[in-house]
Amino acid sequence: MSTRYYPLYQKGNPQLRIFLPNFWMKLVKPQFNNPPNIVEFHCSMQMTRLDIKNYLEKIYKIPIIKVNTRIKLGKFRRNELNTVIKDEDIKVAYAHLPRFESFEFPNMFAEQRANKVKDKQTEKEVSEPLKKKIEEHNKYKAGLPLWFQ
Amino acid sequence: MATVIKAFKGLNTVNTVIKSLANLSLNKSISSSHFIPQKILSVHRCAFLHTTSKKYDLMEFFDDPKNWPKDTVKVGRSWSEDELRIKSNEDLHKLWYVLLKERNMLLTMEHACNDEYVIFPNPERYDKVEESMKNLENVVRERNEAFYFLETGESGERPSVYVNNILGLKQCYKLCQHIIPKYCNLSWKEKHRFGFNGYAVRKFLRLYREKLWNIKRKNRNRESNAAITLLKKFPDLDIEALKHKYPSIDINKVLRHNKLKGVRRKSYIV
Repeated sequence: MSTRYYPLYQKGNPQLRIFLPNFWMKLVKPQFNNPPNIVEFHCSMQMTRLDIKNYLEKIYKIPIIKVNTRIKLGKFRRNELNTVIKDEDIKVAYAHLPRFESFEFPNMFAEQRANKVKDKQTEKEVSEPLKKKIEEHNKYKAGLPLWFQ
Repeated sequence: MATVIKAFKGLNTVNTVIKSLANLSLNKSISSSHFIPQKILSVHRCAFLHTTSKKYDLMEFFDDPKNWPKDTVKVGRSWSEDELRIKSNEDLHKLWYVLLKERNMLLTMEHACNDEYVIFPNPERYDKVEESMKNLENVVRERNEAFYFLETGESGERPSVYVNNILGLKQCYKLCQHIIPKYCNLSWKEKHRFGFNGYAVRKFLRLYREKLWNIKRKNRNRESNAAITLLKKFPDLDIEALKHKYPSIDINKVLRHNKLKGVRRKSYIV
């Protein structure tokens, strides 16, 4: 197909252009304590360092000094049938921002967690008087099956 | 123009930008010199219309901070092919990058959620983006094909041929360009061995064909037996329905079967 099939590149020919790239990249929380100007990505396996640099610079307009990549081996684990399976390998990219720029991975779920704790507390506040009411109601019906109540 | 600016001010998330892109070609026609003097237009020409969000930052990889604590994130549907066919090539190109960014955002958020043991809200968003990307690619493919047929009389698709592999089975081989010609390209020859010969392969093929035939035969027998038992129980069965249910059997042969000798049907369609 036009967008996925490229003619052979020979030296001296005009550079091939990608019109609809289907590479994906995801920004992940750094595994190690990196310097603040290094951002960690997982990306599609076919991407080279140059691809990653161009991708971030052209599509996201992020200035990149250098990119390092490595391939992280997928985990070996046993599934429910107790057979050994291997997860897919991941290409990890470390993109270096300019020297004095920094990026910190945002703490996105703190508010959600706090809300959940609050919700639980409010639930308790609502449910406890109801519980007491039911207990009082059933005070003299101990041992009576629910069907008769 | 003012309405356009208002509309764009209200849009923050990428999702809404995707939707608003539907009006893009219309907006262009509006942005003529009737509304704004020429001089100002030349200064602000780029500032009025934005297909992507304004801020170019690493935070584009994350969802809108408003959506972080939410349990559900409501979004629209995916782009259909008919909608995309109306768009110009330029618009499609822009939309592709919007979709690409949206997909990256969703992947990032999903990964972060999994890391933090939080439920990822509305994972079907990813499917919607994927579907619209697929549709967009199909539309581009259609246009490409039409162009090539007009210009060269061939589709611009990657050519492919059916070849016999080493086991004598048919296989689709997608052709590609090589610098070294075929007859002296040893590394290619080692990888791609077409054609078969030898006693062992012929024996394998014989047995393989027998196996396929047996599967077919057993299926046919099973179906005809099922039809016979049905006809025994319900002699006045609708023959057409039976044909539809068991397409592999010969109905006339089944009706003349020994097992159905005593069964009397009201009407015979023979």
